[in-house]
Amino acid sequence: MSENNTEHHGDGHEGGHHVNYFAIYVALVVLFLISVAGPEVGERTGLRWITLITAFGIAVVKANLVINNFMHLRWEKRLMKWMLATSVILMLLMVAGISPDVLNHEGRNWENVAAMEATARGLGEDDHGEGEEVVVADAGEAEPAGFNAAASFGTICATCHGTGGRGDGPAGAALDPAPADFTEAVFWEDRDRERILTVIRDGGAAVGGSPLMAPWAALYTAEQLEEMADYVMSFRPE
Amino acid sequence: MAHAKPLATTRSATGIPTGRLAVWWVLASEVVIFGGLLGSYVMHRIGHPEWAAAAAHTQTWVGALNTFVLLTSSFTAVLGHQAAERGDGKAAAKFLGFTILGALTFLVVKGFEWANEITHGYTITANTFWSFYYTAAGLHALHVIAGAIIMGFVAVDAFRGRELHRVELIGIYWHFVDVVWIFLFPLLYIAK
Repeated sequence: MSENNTEHHGDGHEGGHHVNYFAIYVALVVLFLISVAGPEVGERTGLRWITLITAFGIAVVKANLVINNFMHLRWEKRLMKWMLATSVILMLLMVAGISPDVLNHEGRNWENVAAMEATARGLGEDDHGEGEEVVVADAGEAEPAGFNAAASFGTICATCHGTGGRGDGPAGAALDPAPADFTEAVFWEDRDRERILTVIRDGGAAVGGSPLMAPWAALYTAEQLEEMADYVMSFRPE
Repeated sequence: MAHAKPLATTRSATGIPTGRLAVWWVLASEVVIFGGLLGSYVMHRIGHPEWAAAAAHTQTWVGALNTFVLLTSSFTAVLGHQAAERGDGKAAAKFLGFTILGALTFLVVKGFEWANEITHGYTITANTFWSFYYTAAGLHALHVIAGAIIMGFVAVDAFRGRELHRVELIGIYWHFVDVVWIFLFPLLYIAK
C-alpha cells in the first residue's frame, strides 16, 4: 500500500518528495474508520479475531504509512534505518526477555501469588458472587484477549516480516540478510512446517539460518507455537 | 544565536543533516520508552483476563475522536513541511498553527475524558489496568504538550522566514507522537 505513491530515488532527501499527502491522509482516515467498526463486526459475527486484526493489523499499516510518507523514513540513509532497527530490536528483546515472568503467574520454582489473587479477585467480582471460590484455572476460559496467531504475527513478526509476510516490515528494512518472504515459492522449496516451527521456537541460528531471526520459545506455549507455524504456513503460495 | 552557529549544526559526518539525525536519535530512544511501556501493558493484559472488565469502561468514541484529531494534525504538519521546502515560511507557520490547534483539541478532549473517568472512581490507583491507562496516555499527553510548545517557537521563526528546516524536524517528532497514539488507540479503546 505504501510502496506506490511516488517515484523517488536516492537518499539525498533534499528537494522534496512527490508524495500525495492528501491521498495518504484519506487512506489513514479510512483505515481508522475500519478499525473503529471492527469491534461492531466482531461482535455481530462472534469472531473476536476480526477485532484483533482490525485493531492491531490496521495500527501497523497506519504506522507504516505515517513513518514512510510523513516522516519520509524510506528516503533516509541506511544508517538511520539501522539505528532505529537496533532500537526496535533491543526493545523487543527486552519485552521477550521478561515475558515468561509476566505472562505466567507460576513457574517451576516460583509463583506470583499477588497476580494470581488479583486475577481470582477480579474475575470473582465480575462473574461470581463469591470471589474466593474462583480458581485461577478458570481464567483461561474467560480470557478476553484469547491467543490469536494472526494477531500475534501482526504485532510481533510483522515488525520485520511485514503484515503480509513479504519480509517488508519496518524493522526488517535494514536487516542483512533480509527477513524471509513467505509468499515466495522459492522460499518454500527447502522448507517444511517442521522447520518453520523449529525456527520460530529456537531462532534462525538453530537451523544454520540468520541469527537475526530471534527464538520465541519464551513467548509462546507449545500449542501457540504450533498455531504460529500454521499461520506462517498459510502464506505459502499454492 | 545569529552570530556563530555551533560547529555541529554546520557539518555532518554521516551526510544526514545534524538536526534531523538528532530528532531520529531522540525517537530511537522513545521507541524503547514507549515500546517497553506498551509491551509491559500487552503482557499484563494477556496474563490478567480480569482487566477486560476495567477496559470495558474506556470510551471508544472519545479515543476515536482524538485519533482523528491527531491524524489530521499530522497531515497539517506534513503540509507545513511541504510549504517550508518551497521556502514559504508564512504558509509553513500557518500549517504548524493548525497542528498546534490539533494538539490543543486533543488535550481538551483528553481533559474532559479523564475528568469524567476520575469522578466515576476510575483513578490511577483503582487497579493496575487504570495505572497503565493513565501512565501510557499521560506520558503520551506530555509529548503532545512538549511538541505543541516547541512547534510554537518553530512556527514563529518560520513566519519570519528563519530556520525553515526546523519545520520538518518538529514534524518528524509530531508524526512519531501520532504513531504512538495509533498503537495506544487499539490497545486502550478497541481491544476490549
